[in-house]
Amino acid sequence: MTPSPVPSALVKRKRRRKTLYERLEPWLFLLPALAVFVVFLYYPFFKTVYLSAFLTNRYGEAKVFVGLKNYTDILTGTRSGEFWNSIWVTVRFVFFVTLGGLTMGIVTSLLVEKRFPGNAFASAIFAMPIAIASSAASMSFKMILHPSIGLLNKLLGTQVNWLNDIRYTFGVICVLAVWLATGINFIFISAGLRNIPGELYESAAIDGANGWDKFRCITLPCLSPTLFFQVIIDVINAFQTFNIVKILTLGGPMESTNTIVYSIYLDAFRNFRFGSAAARSIILFLIIMTVTLIQFRAEKRSVHYS
Amino acid sequence: MTGKAIQTRRFRLTRRRRDALWTLLRMLITLPFVLIIMVPLLYTAMMSVLPPDELYIRFWPSHFDFSSYVQVFTKTMIPRQILNSFIVAGSVTVLQMITCSMAAFAFSFLHFRGRNFVFMCILATMMVPWEATIISNYLTVARWDWVDSYKVLILPYGCSAMGIFLMRQHYLTFAKELHEAARLDGCSNWRFLGSIVLPLSRPALGALGAYIFLQQWNNYLWPLLVTSTDNVRTVQIGVASMYDVDSEQINLMMSAVVVCLVPSLSIFVFMQKNLINGLMAGAVKG
Repeated sequence: MTPSPVPSALVKRKRRRKTLYERLEPWLFLLPALAVFVVFLYYPFFKTVYLSAFLTNRYGEAKVFVGLKNYTDILTGTRSGEFWNSIWVTVRFVFFVTLGGLTMGIVTSLLVEKRFPGNAFASAIFAMPIAIASSAASMSFKMILHPSIGLLNKLLGTQVNWLNDIRYTFGVICVLAVWLATGINFIFISAGLRNIPGELYESAAIDGANGWDKFRCITLPCLSPTLFFQVIIDVINAFQTFNIVKILTLGGPMESTNTIVYSIYLDAFRNFRFGSAAARSIILFLIIMTVTLIQFRAEKRSVHYS
Repeated sequence: MTGKAIQTRRFRLTRRRRDALWTLLRMLITLPFVLIIMVPLLYTAMMSVLPPDELYIRFWPSHFDFSSYVQVFTKTMIPRQILNSFIVAGSVTVLQMITCSMAAFAFSFLHFRGRNFVFMCILATMMVPWEATIISNYLTVARWDWVDSYKVLILPYGCSAMGIFLMRQHYLTFAKELHEAARLDGCSNWRFLGSIVLPLSRPALGALGAYIFLQQWNNYLWPLLVTSTDNVRTVQIGVASMYDVDSEQINLMMSAVVVCLVPSLSIFVFMQKNLINGLMAGAVKG
């Protein structure tokens, strides 16, 4: 390389037209990522939309174009009862799991906020569920809830079949989902707590505010952006919960835990009705989109940004 | 004068005592929550060493029986499945670290037409739930005859919007002058990424790696759909299917659960700080 004075080199670079390679280079950096996204995300997404308008054979090949019939069948046809039940189950599940996850997150992060002997240990425990596989946790809970030798029945002195009793199964599944969601809720909410400036509390204390006042007037407003973000994550995760249903209840008893996601799985991979399953997934996608957009709309009114 | 001094001292004492009381109260309330998280895991560990003949009569084992662990490693497919899980999760982690840091580099250091549009297209995929793509993906890999192979478990996870986003957030903290200076010295973009950016990004890469590895180690549905033989099955599928096969051998099943939790929990313990900070960098700034 011939040494040249730096300023003129700069000027030269700016004036010169980019070589072909220079123009292509950014795309080379993007190529591997884009390849994965195109093949395994964009293409299958549009293919799902396409499939939802067809009757398919056992191998998932689109055979007969039926337009919106898959959708109308699900929404109003013979199988609409099962579909609307799965919507109702999912909505309740999302509501309880989001509420429970947020509550666990707020309570646990408030508890370890101040230093005390063992608070680092407690924080580690509260964050731990993020590392635990929902399938492994489901297996543990299967034993805890076992009708004859399970821990829960031993502690309560009962003989309840928790996973096959229409009164309890839905609640039990929600509890496990909340247990699994505690980790991520704790991590993000305690991060939000740490970002609240300490001076706010000090000046509030000088003004004679008590603990509840501080929580209501400082903690909650300052935490609201974090909580908002966390609600969105929780809602999306809850909508997509599959493993615990698959391992613990298979949608039963009497379809009381048959979430939309599980019904999609049954439709596609048990009954090989890929077209109808695709239609269900598109409906679920639209629901999740709508709920997320509504949340963003609601954010503008209720979230406080300093 | 002395009276006042005594008064302040007494005030201080009571205040300290009140603080101590609050701390005690805090600990007492924290304990049940810690137990809620711990008990299922401790119970699983305890059940795995409970002698089989005490299953129905005793609560606490009279002695620890580790024979089920020996069985897990000698009589089941769990060791092979653990190996598979390590191969798959390890490959996906390495692959994503490469693809995500390259893509994030383009989005934060290079200028080209359509940069923001492409970035938005990638971020938008975070909104697409997996069930909207999984059916078509399954049909695609079945048509390609990829079922029951490592590549079908690895390649679909070769990149992630979350990874690109996290790495880009980190790169944005670099000074632009660093890149310009390196370019003037004749350093190519590839070398700049490899020998300056990546070594400086070790914490972020570590966090991303731990996150991806955990996610893959715990992945359940995709491996369930696309594998049918133990040669490529991952450990989560193996453990979850044990209930059907060995419903009577409860401690065998529980030992398998413990064995498959050990790697992910160790990663969590060792990487905890890094992992949490890394995840938060994405969340708080984003």
